[in-house]
Amino acid sequence: MKTIKEVLKEKRTGLFYGNRVLLPFSCHILKLNIENDLITDFSPRHEGVHVSENSDFMEIYFYDYKNLTDVITKYEVIKMIVVEKGKDIFNFKNHITLALRPGEDHIVKIEELGENQIFIE
Amino acid sequence: MQVNNRIIILVFTFCLLLLASQDILASDYAQAEDSTSIVASTEVGHTPVHLPSAFMVIPFVILLGMIATGPLFYHHFWEKYYPIIAILLGLITVFYYLLFLNDTHSLLHTAAEYLSFIALLGSLFVASGGILIRIEKKSTPWLNAGILLFGAVIANVIGTTGASMLLIRPFIKINQDRIKPYHIIFFIFLVSNVGGALTPIGDPPLFLGFLRGVEFFWVIQHVWYIWLPTILLITVVFIFIDFRNLSKDESGEKFSGKFEFKGMKNVFYLLIIVISVFIDPAVMSWVPSLSPLPFGIREIIMFSMVVIAYRTADEDILKANEFDFEPIKEVAYLFVGIFATMIPALQLISHEANVLRDSLTPGIFYWATGILSSFLDNAPTYLNFLSAELGKEGMDVGIPAEVARFANEFPIYLSAISVSSVFFGAMTYIGNGPNFMVKSISERSGIKMPSFFGYLIKYSIPILIPIYILVWLVFYF
Repeated sequence: MKTIKEVLKEKRTGLFYGNRVLLPFSCHILKLNIENDLITDFSPRHEGVHVSENSDFMEIYFYDYKNLTDVITKYEVIKMIVVEKGKDIFNFKNHITLALRPGEDHIVKIEELGENQIFIE
Repeated sequence: MQVNNRIIILVFTFCLLLLASQDILASDYAQAEDSTSIVASTEVGHTPVHLPSAFMVIPFVILLGMIATGPLFYHHFWEKYYPIIAILLGLITVFYYLLFLNDTHSLLHTAAEYLSFIALLGSLFVASGGILIRIEKKSTPWLNAGILLFGAVIANVIGTTGASMLLIRPFIKINQDRIKPYHIIFFIFLVSNVGGALTPIGDPPLFLGFLRGVEFFWVIQHVWYIWLPTILLITVVFIFIDFRNLSKDESGEKFSGKFEFKGMKNVFYLLIIVISVFIDPAVMSWVPSLSPLPFGIREIIMFSMVVIAYRTADEDILKANEFDFEPIKEVAYLFVGIFATMIPALQLISHEANVLRDSLTPGIFYWATGILSSFLDNAPTYLNFLSAELGKEGMDVGIPAEVARFANEFPIYLSAISVSSVFFGAMTYIGNGPNFMVKSISERSGIKMPSFFGYLIKYSIPILIPIYILVWLVFYF
């Protein structure tokens, strides 16, 4: 599987179908923002979101939303703070803030959050 | 059926009812007041023949209760259905007024007030959303206080909504390494509310007073000496708390001190919106009235600015600002319910004010207007108490010359409601339109904001109420 750095460098994209997002890397998610929801609980007890890992990709289900395109508008993104698998999660330098931008043809653009955008850890 | 479809049907029904009320009203409306868009529903001398039943306050109480508890206890249900709930509760009041009271006058006036309110808020929101300010400076309590004071001052030029939208993102950005909810709450206190107490552009209640005959500079002349110490006191409390929160650890990060401003054309749009505030037949006699339509030329200009500002905005700025209509949509839906359901509450309050008018002092007006402005919209609350004050002296709020005379002969009464309607808007998230917008933008930036009650109990009651008591003791006791 690609690392996050490689995905960002190669400008690889993810996919989404309804409320399911597929990402071409594997990571620990620390904090996530979708619409007005701030999610920090990714345990199985949390009913709103579910993260699963496969050998070649990871997927996130947003159960509170039927279709992401209904809630993520043109200039909005899903923001998340992640740490690459295998990296020291306790070192803030390893925390990466990503912006996921669902677009046409089920494609999710994956970018590092721009310097003008804000997502507080 | 999709939620969106249901909402469209409800909005359509709402519009049909309003249009029906206009048809019924068209004949007698022409004889009514000459002012176009913002007029009181329950003024002294215009009090409806039939007062609403006290039970009709229930939809309003339910709506307020749900706004307070929804995001806390049934977040996703609320997120999904708040537009339907707000409109349905509003429709109960509309049906009651149409079928039982046969009072279309109040409905049309409320529709006009709502459209003026949302036109101003919406246009300022979209125009300021196309402006990007970047300040690369280290966050210090002094810098933060400076931004808050600057925001409080410019709120009087571009409105509390414009100032809030313009400054909230740079304020969060500067403080991103150590931001806490209190930063945002003090921003709501100073920039989104108290700051805008000096001019009729600052906050909608003062704008209504201006349309009614209060001179443009009356507010600044009679309120500045109350505004200044209040602003300074709140800022001092902020500086004290912010110093306590200041980390001793230096991150070693270098700041260039650069200041960047993008989106100049949107400043021009903001200017047009501010100028359009005066385009009203009550202010300029040459401006045509569009009555019985519940809007005027001003609202058309403001809604046009929404379209133009959005279409011509720089995409990169919109992306950087993560521009989204959701915050203004939330305000629009919730306030359509609030405006409709609060008609009976305001009429009953106005009636009681008239009954008790001989015993009403400036202090009572200060507290009554203030407490109600915390939970109701402050604009109609102000207007109803203004009408009660004029009625107390045998004057009519519908005659601008009498309003101007009242302002000069009894300034303390007018200053009491002007100050409290603006100041107390900061008491809750629903006290003033920009409060909700600032909350929403902050949450999307990763800041966990306090609940409705958390805001009230942890912040506004302990910080604002002592200051407002001081204002009362010094100026209105």
